[in-house]
Amino acid sequence: MGEMMKTLKILSVMLCYPQSDMQMALDEMAEVLEQENLVPERQRWAVQDLMRKMAQTDLMELQERYVRLFDRGRALSLHLFEHIHGESRDRGQAMVNLLHIYQQHGFSLNIRELPDYLPLFLEYLAQRPLAEALDMLGDALHVIALLGARLAERGSDYHVVFDALSALVGEPADISDIRQQVAQEGPDPSVVNMDKLWEEEVVTFLASQDDCAGRHLGPDMVQPLHWRSCAASTPSATPTHSR
Amino acid sequence: MSHFLDRLNFFKKVTDTFSGNHGMVTNEDRGWEDAYRARWQHDKIVRSTHGVNCTGSCSWKIYVKNGLVTWETQQTDYPRTRDELPNHEPRGCPRGASYSWYLYSANRVKYPMVRGRLMKLWRAALAEHQDPVTAWASIVEDPVKSAEYKSKRGLGGFVRATWQEVNPLIAAANVYTAKQYGPDRIYGFSPIPAMSMVSYAAGSRYLSLIGGACGSFYDWYCDLPPASPMVWGEQTDVPESADWYNSTFLMMWGSNVPQTRTPDAHFMTEVRYRGTKTVVVCPDYSEASKFADIWLHPKQGTDAAVAMAMGHVILREFYLDGRSDYFTDYVRTKTDFPMLVLLDPGKDGAYVNSRFLHAADLADNAGHINNPEWKTLAFDEKSGHLIVPNGSIGFRWGEKEGMIGKWNLEAKEALTGAETQLRLSVSEIRDTVVPVAFPYFGATQHPYFACTHHDPIQIRQVPVKKVRLANNTEALVATVYDLTLAQYGLDRGLGGDNVARTYDDDVPYTPAWQEKITGVPRAQIIAVARQFAENADKTHGKSMVIIGAAMNHWYHMDMNYRGVINMLMMCGCVGQSGGGWSHYVGQEKLRPQTGWTALAFALDWHRPPRHMNSTSFWYIHSSQWRHEKLSMSEILSPLVDPQQWQGTQIDYNVRAARMGWLPTAPHFDVNPLHVAKAAEAAGQAPTAYLVDNLKAGNIDFAFADPDNPVNFPRNLFVWRSNLLGSSGKGHEYFLKYLLGTTHGVQGKDLGEQGGEKPLEVKWRPGAEGKLDLLVTLDFRMSTTCMYSDIVLPTATWYEKNDLNTSDMHPFIHPLSAAVDPAWEARTDWDIFKEIARTFSEVCVGHLGIEQDVIALPTLHDTPNELAMPDVRDWKKGECELIPGKTAPNLVVVERDYPNTYKKFTSVGPLLEKMGNGGKGIGWKTEHEVEALGSLNGTVREAGISQGRPRIETDIDAAEMVMMLAPETNGHVAVKAWAALSRITGRDHSHLALPKEHEKIRFRDIQAQPRKIISSPTWSGLEDEKVSYNAGYTNVHELIPWRTVTGRQQFYQDHPWMLGFGEALCAYRPPVDMKTVAPIIGKKPNGHQEIVLNFITPHQKWGIHSTYTDNLLMLTLSRGGPIIWISEKDAQKAGIEDNDWIEAYNLNGAIAARAVVSQRVPEGMSLMYHAQEKIVNTPGSEITGTRGGIHNSVTRTILKPTHMIGSYAQQSYGFNYYGTVGANRDEFIVVRKMDRIDWLDDEQTVATETTDH
Repeated sequence: MGEMMKTLKILSVMLCYPQSDMQMALDEMAEVLEQENLVPERQRWAVQDLMRKMAQTDLMELQERYVRLFDRGRALSLHLFEHIHGESRDRGQAMVNLLHIYQQHGFSLNIRELPDYLPLFLEYLAQRPLAEALDMLGDALHVIALLGARLAERGSDYHVVFDALSALVGEPADISDIRQQVAQEGPDPSVVNMDKLWEEEVVTFLASQDDCAGRHLGPDMVQPLHWRSCAASTPSATPTHSR
Repeated sequence: MSHFLDRLNFFKKVTDTFSGNHGMVTNEDRGWEDAYRARWQHDKIVRSTHGVNCTGSCSWKIYVKNGLVTWETQQTDYPRTRDELPNHEPRGCPRGASYSWYLYSANRVKYPMVRGRLMKLWRAALAEHQDPVTAWASIVEDPVKSAEYKSKRGLGGFVRATWQEVNPLIAAANVYTAKQYGPDRIYGFSPIPAMSMVSYAAGSRYLSLIGGACGSFYDWYCDLPPASPMVWGEQTDVPESADWYNSTFLMMWGSNVPQTRTPDAHFMTEVRYRGTKTVVVCPDYSEASKFADIWLHPKQGTDAAVAMAMGHVILREFYLDGRSDYFTDYVRTKTDFPMLVLLDPGKDGAYVNSRFLHAADLADNAGHINNPEWKTLAFDEKSGHLIVPNGSIGFRWGEKEGMIGKWNLEAKEALTGAETQLRLSVSEIRDTVVPVAFPYFGATQHPYFACTHHDPIQIRQVPVKKVRLANNTEALVATVYDLTLAQYGLDRGLGGDNVARTYDDDVPYTPAWQEKITGVPRAQIIAVARQFAENADKTHGKSMVIIGAAMNHWYHMDMNYRGVINMLMMCGCVGQSGGGWSHYVGQEKLRPQTGWTALAFALDWHRPPRHMNSTSFWYIHSSQWRHEKLSMSEILSPLVDPQQWQGTQIDYNVRAARMGWLPTAPHFDVNPLHVAKAAEAAGQAPTAYLVDNLKAGNIDFAFADPDNPVNFPRNLFVWRSNLLGSSGKGHEYFLKYLLGTTHGVQGKDLGEQGGEKPLEVKWRPGAEGKLDLLVTLDFRMSTTCMYSDIVLPTATWYEKNDLNTSDMHPFIHPLSAAVDPAWEARTDWDIFKEIARTFSEVCVGHLGIEQDVIALPTLHDTPNELAMPDVRDWKKGECELIPGKTAPNLVVVERDYPNTYKKFTSVGPLLEKMGNGGKGIGWKTEHEVEALGSLNGTVREAGISQGRPRIETDIDAAEMVMMLAPETNGHVAVKAWAALSRITGRDHSHLALPKEHEKIRFRDIQAQPRKIISSPTWSGLEDEKVSYNAGYTNVHELIPWRTVTGRQQFYQDHPWMLGFGEALCAYRPPVDMKTVAPIIGKKPNGHQEIVLNFITPHQKWGIHSTYTDNLLMLTLSRGGPIIWISEKDAQKAGIEDNDWIEAYNLNGAIAARAVVSQRVPEGMSLMYHAQEKIVNTPGSEITGTRGGIHNSVTRTILKPTHMIGSYAQQSYGFNYYGTVGANRDEFIVVRKMDRIDWLDDEQTVATETTDH
């Protein structure tokens, strides 16, 4: 169980903004990944390969690449709820719930970051028992698979980290659908495909009613994700910032 | 699941019943309710608003839970309006309701960002040189290194940085620039301070302390109507929206109220139920058009023709054939109609109207010692004499005992105080009737606008009086009223041609005449004009025109505006409840202005600050002048000799600058920090040294040589603004010349194509990449951020404390920090405070105590506004170079650079020493500074700021604003009114006395929005009985307008106004920009090309570029850039709705989707202002790079009449007067796109999605 934590922690670090300490630890991380042997071989090798490349690349270049991929736009945002709730007001509540889970297990954020930031989420999971961690990771699997597919489509090596995460819990059943959709979407699918997503459907009074719920803001396969606190339902009323 | 198990299948619970079995006590599990409770639970609600450039200024409830903002809803606790008026709620629209998305959006700027190339260069330089200033010098002085990062602007490649690393870089660039070239090479651009005054002040305070120049915005946006200063000597003072409800005849002229003034529109819709008639004048079927009882749709850009024809009807029916006692009395006492104008002999026996007759023209200056050339005259009906009445601007300044207190609108002769009744027309007492020549521009040919075939010189008969002048010659004079009747083409029985007896005569300015130009049926013009005037006559002025910048964005905007304002003045509507001119665009009225200017421009430490009119600045420094195609000879009056009026637009600007009319940045081709030392070496005072060297030609104005590297603007701060993605007219020229990066300019410059070159400006090869450093503060990754070298993450509007006011409602209310800034973001106040701190450290060894020479233009509302009664250019030897009189004033300011931070964070001593004030009124302010010390605390640390009141936080800064301003401090208001009373000789203090002890603090407005206190800074009242209406105190307190005559002016007598034919209002067709013919058919893609006029109105699903990157708003519109075209034009070009189309001309190209709509008239296209190219924009087939923004096809043009200065109301003031960035005369080629290329093939390899 202890080893498991490091694997998730390593994958968390891989998705953080590249810094020199991380770059120097890449060898060690590759080694631990090997030792723990939790990620299936094919995916692990791919991650280790990425680690080797990153170790040899100029840090500033890594940083530029990271900013280009993850700090701009919604398509590859590392904030999970961006892909689930988007602009919806539900997002605020979802973040509050997630924060509550962290707090219930004795963690409070030590950095100015949102609770749904994927590396942060992974670091939390790395502190939890294996079964629970995999269970929660499984809930986020659709988003992880989607991001991995988008990165692969754009030719970015970063997709191997997402493949490794998927492999830990098993690929979603509809992974081929996800890949196929991603291959067809433009630079920002929610915007480029807006007309299609919002197209009024022809109302048919006699046909099956199943089609009526066919309109979604985001890609069809992303399922609502709502982590609820498992302990007593009295929510914490303590404001974290009171001025 | 658990609820399912809780349910009993086999049992029923025993319960108590009550109320005769109607009620029942149950004990079932109610846990399911928690889901609903939790959904709407929150830890606290915080009051804030949206600091974007929007007149709404709506207060919002921000809900916070666990330190996260969860949503927002509208506040509903505005103080009530007045008896019989609806209240303000609800205020707030879907745009504002979607704002909280920005806080946690993927588009948020989370960390300080620096372009990687620059970061590498910086780290290497710092490693080599240690000293940051030397390190910066080693980069920018090396052409290879500087090109390396400049050419990558807009191409991504950012890395995250820390504040500790970026602040020294920025400070070093500023220190280097000030030391090497001068602090006036550091420029700051931030708009609309009213929306978040402290955030604006943060940057401008820093810049003002180090001597940087703050650029204006209102003029640059072309929202500034120069007609307002011309007519009133005031800039955009307008009725609050609640006053619409007092109107009984409401016109919306080029203003789309429901769409762009959403939270206020209800006053307009509600008053219709009270019987108010609504008329909309708008070329397209806009949302406002739906509310109209009558919808007039003139061809776009021809509104002045409509207004002139309506004026013709009003004059005919209410001045000549009919009569209104109310109108007659109003124009006699409140306008310049009775004032006398000299007539000069012209060609072929005709006369030409000239300037006002002055006391100085008469023997013995008509008894006036002080400013006789600034006192106008009229005939008095009571005495029959030619008299000098009270109120002209000569009485405002410099009067001595006995003559003080004559600057008012009492109907009195100034010397004797005798009661007067000024004569409107000299017709009854005329000596003769003479032919007078008037310029007519409606015959000007334009490829896409109709013209008429009337003579460009219209000779009409005018009754005149002979007056004997001081030199014993005889002069002819006519009243402004007589000239106006002639200009409007009214036959009043004086004979001659070019005047109309009936509305059907084809004579300029009749309802029949305008049909050909505007397409509006004459019957509609007559009906609307007649009803407008009839209503005003019966209600004493309750006819109102809500006017939109749509009409102000044309090159000849002054004609559109003056045409409408003339109607309002003729009908006595200005300054009356429910009447007047309502222009709500782009300025939004910073109500506690005089408290704010002290903070914002560091007037507590240094005076004067450096201000610059941005339109001229961008026009010159983005080298748009190098591509100028509009010759000034095209717009001259046909009555002047073109040989006397040579030069291009930039020539006129250079002349205006050297005569002290307009400001400059940079000032000269020398460093202003070096002048004092050089003067000392030469044994001269700095001013004398500069004067000698300017005269000798050793030193010249920077604008005379903009491509010389010593004259480049080097550093640029942009905050609270999307300069490049929203307001940058001539976008592609900015990219090419100012930034030196990839651009889409298609045209050749004057050197390559051999156009008319400037006379006053040195021609060199065009410099590219003039800016060394572009720093942008924003919370979202805007287009401007994409092009910046450094992007700093700012707090959103729910993460900072600030102040907010609007011209639409009378409240002041706050932005409050609901949560701390997320990620590494900081408030604007903290960002600039820390830059100031770093600057103070980094400058040591480079800059100490320095003497900085400021070239200050002559300013409106100061005695200097009387500097130039006639135009004299020292450079042409027409006069001596006298600073402050014939040239800019030259003022030495001592800067203490290492103490910049200490000054930034404390209130300086000049407030007590020199007092505070604004708009020509000053008062003492010791008491307020003392109170501020006890409120904010005083500085304990040793040094120059010890003992001074502190301004550490944004709240401290807000308190400073509110403590010093009359609008938020009753004591100050009483002082301010008392100060004005001394000049007018009338007691106005009763306007503020009831609120004398009211003081509004920051915590007060956090509790609830507060109504502000009446102040002489503004011309309306904040009153329980009267809605705020501009000009109200002029009409009811007899305070003069701040014009030459002290009255509202139909007539503009500056020589340049005469030269360009605009002494009186006229119709002028749009100008020919000549950007389409050279490119049409040159780059075919197989699709039909059509030519359309290009209009950029405000949109429904965004406020400028804000919200347009928000998926909710994108979904409600079309999800990316769109251009509206008519069905007919679409058919011609084979375009169907939603097709990808390209719009282009010599300036650049846009790729967008077509909205084909019946809304749009043929020949016009409409692209909502500011749809950024960061969202859903494919590549352009014309430029081969990513399609541009709406401003990619525009280029700004300047008008000399806006450069006039040193002439009463036509004097410079920051965001008051100056050149404006007109852009609606532009035409584009439109065609269907052949190939949609998203330019993302090698996306992750080399570019990013928004690169080009």
